[in-house]
Amino acid sequence: MRRFTLQELARYDGKDGAPAYFAFQGYVYDASGSFLWRNGRHQARHVAGTDLTGALDQAPHNADLLERLPKIGILVRE
Amino acid sequence: MARVAREMVEKAGINVDELLELLVTNAAAELTTFYYYTILRANLIGLEGEGIKAIAEAARIEDRNHFEALVPRIYELGGKLPEDLKVFHDMSACSPARLPDDPTDVKAILQVLVNAERCAVRGYTHICNLTAGKDHRTYALALAILNEEIEHESWFSEFLGEGPSGHFMRQGETSPFVRPFMP
Repeated sequence: MRRFTLQELARYDGKDGAPAYFAFQGYVYDASGSFLWRNGRHQARHVAGTDLTGALDQAPHNADLLERLPKIGILVRE
Repeated sequence: MARVAREMVEKAGINVDELLELLVTNAAAELTTFYYYTILRANLIGLEGEGIKAIAEAARIEDRNHFEALVPRIYELGGKLPEDLKVFHDMSACSPARLPDDPTDVKAILQVLVNAERCAVRGYTHICNLTAGKDHRTYALALAILNEEIEHESWFSEFLGEGPSGHFMRQGETSPFVRPFMP
């Protein structure tokens, strides 16, 4: 699996045609094909290219919904 | 815009621009769902489909009512709807409830319907969580809509064999919860 640092992940913010990736609990997910992540934004408050591990507590869904997205990498700390 | 009403919401600690985006994207979900449900309802035919048509129609009309009820609150808080309908469609908080590849597959249509309702339940729960105890008017509206979205989910999930909904078909007019908010 591909390895991403936070700095590398930030390039995949879904803007200007870039893929929309985000991290959750150490894994990187590709949300580029999701209608709910258009332009790298999700439900007004989440942006692609970031680690969203802490955000799920506030979200109205569980982690199982993330499994619908391709898991494409691992987030590594520099 | 209701200037003081907006001020009160801001003063309560709510990011009003973020809330407005949620209200607009959920309004988009309601109106687009009304459109897509029209197509789904038209395809609910035959021995299996006819039995579901009535609840699909109730959900369709109530989703349109939700759109109507959300719009005044968006403008009160200083927001607005996009001028371009295509932009509005593409900003929907939920994926398009498109007719399945096999339009005769009633179970697949039901799955589209229940997925759309579950997205709505999540969306209004989120808005209720954000506004509870802070923005009373938006909270009351979102809660009224949430009540109806939960009923829709229950109706469709029952037909999918997920267990009894515990709900009965509506008697009388549609939108028993949202009607007081409608213009």
